[in-house]
Amino acid sequence: MKSEGIRKYLKAIIVAGVIVLVCIILGILKPGRDEVLSRTSPEMQKMIDADANSSRKRVTVTYNDMLVISYASLSTSGAKVMSERYVGFLGKVYPADEGAMKIVGQMVNYTYRMLGCGENLMHGAKLTILLTTLTVIFGILLGTILALGKISKHKVLRHLSGMYIFFFRGTPLLIQLFVVYFTVPGICGFAWRDLFPASDAEAVYKGAFTAALIAFALNSGAYCAEIVRSAIQSIDKGQFEASKALGMNYAQTMTRIIIPQSVRRMIPNVSNEFIMILKDASLVFAISLMDITTISKNIMTSEGSYLVFIPALVIYLVITAFFGIIFNKIEKKFSVYE
Amino acid sequence: MSDNYEYILRTEHVSKHFGTLEVLKDISLSVKKGEVICIIGPSGAGKSTFLRSLNQLEKISSGKIFIRDELFLHRENDHTVDKLPKEKQQELLLEMGMVFQRFNLFPHKTVLQNVCEAPIIVRKEKKEAVEERAKELLARVGLSDKANEYPSRLSGGQQQRVAIARALAMNPEIMLFDEPTSALDPELVGDVLTVMKELAESGMTMLCVTHEMGFAREVADRVLFMADGIIAEEGTPEEIFTNPKAERTKSFLNAVLEA
Repeated sequence: MKSEGIRKYLKAIIVAGVIVLVCIILGILKPGRDEVLSRTSPEMQKMIDADANSSRKRVTVTYNDMLVISYASLSTSGAKVMSERYVGFLGKVYPADEGAMKIVGQMVNYTYRMLGCGENLMHGAKLTILLTTLTVIFGILLGTILALGKISKHKVLRHLSGMYIFFFRGTPLLIQLFVVYFTVPGICGFAWRDLFPASDAEAVYKGAFTAALIAFALNSGAYCAEIVRSAIQSIDKGQFEASKALGMNYAQTMTRIIIPQSVRRMIPNVSNEFIMILKDASLVFAISLMDITTISKNIMTSEGSYLVFIPALVIYLVITAFFGIIFNKIEKKFSVYE
Repeated sequence: MSDNYEYILRTEHVSKHFGTLEVLKDISLSVKKGEVICIIGPSGAGKSTFLRSLNQLEKISSGKIFIRDELFLHRENDHTVDKLPKEKQQELLLEMGMVFQRFNLFPHKTVLQNVCEAPIIVRKEKKEAVEERAKELLARVGLSDKANEYPSRLSGGQQQRVAIARALAMNPEIMLFDEPTSALDPELVGDVLTVMKELAESGMTMLCVTHEMGFAREVADRVLFMADGIIAEEGTPEEIFTNPKAERTKSFLNAVLEA
């Protein structure tokens, strides 16, 4: 059994192994921070040496380490303003103040920042992925409850679910986000950041993230409800009858027979919903969360680099492709009985 | 549970309508323990509906259903007049196993899991004990080697035999068969009928809606001929097949047996 499983994934394992190996080699060959800094101009060297013995720092060093490639930007304050940039790759350090290397350096720097490297979970791609994944999980749970309500025998439940779905599909997600973030605490008299200890420097971000997650999950629940409902209703009526004839009650029939069969039929639509949320997650720029989109917009505004959106698009595509593969695998796993 | 009853299953004046269409008209039937009853008749006669009414897959419009001489359900004009408490009803319903025309196996579970599911979930029996019994049942229907296959890998006849084992796993006292061989390729019918024959010989009470006249003739203690929602004629296989009295039975049998 085990060797069969390994053989099935052999191709994927080899490809992944080669990629990892290449990355490790490139990573080892990549010049480190000290090596890059040692290649700066003589003037800059003097300043760095001076800083080392002084409490007053005049050189600002930004060092971005992206596994296989590194980027360093040095600038000085004071009487004489200097700025230098370098790219470290494959054992060599390249000046990146002009030409193609300048663009390469910028791309490394932007990607580094948009991925949220060196920052906590509340930054960049990590924030986007975390928000999207949690939204889909809560969305499906909520959607399942709403779907069961919508197909329930009780009129009240049916109408409640119907109204919920109507409301959340019929209004813009951005305004729902504003309502959760501004209106609800406004009426109830609290602030989202107060949910976290005041000593926490990230309390504002975490509060905003909580609000965003609630708004997104409530919204996604409405869409997932329709996904779950149509999947459940696509199951053959004979399955309900067989369950009933065997003495199973409604809850047993749903949890043991109907929903497990529905899951496989939901996956393509859930995958779709996931990608929609991934892109909708960029709306959090409106409540000042630092996701990929917000960071790219900030870089554009503060540094005037219109090229920043290209790595932004690439990052989104890579995330979409990665989760696309995962959903495909899940679907295959659930199709084993067909 | 008491074994002191005259009829294991009895209906009185059962009627059922879908809208204005009357499907069952005043059907009264008494079944003794161990009896094998085959219900034959043209399509649309209400045979399946009657069978499905017995285990509550359809709600009758009026009439009484008794199980073990206890009034299980009494309805008049689409309203329930009297019935057993829900738990007691549920308990008695478990005494009826059902086999469907289209098998209705659970496709996401293996053959063994299909058979074990209800005893474990509904009767709360120990998994090991159920699995042992399930394997015996699968051996009985000749499918020991298929225990770990998914239903989609089985032929129709094999699926139907699994469905029979699944129903038997609940240890029912009555088995209801709703055209169990109608969806099968002709060469697969025999295996299923053999299993049903063995079941009848073992003393199981059976109600079979069927188009297999040979089977009805050979196995049934009593044959009901249904047409247009009523039991048009009733008797031993001998009486029905060799000496039918009602015109409707004669023309039906002529049409079927000629083919």
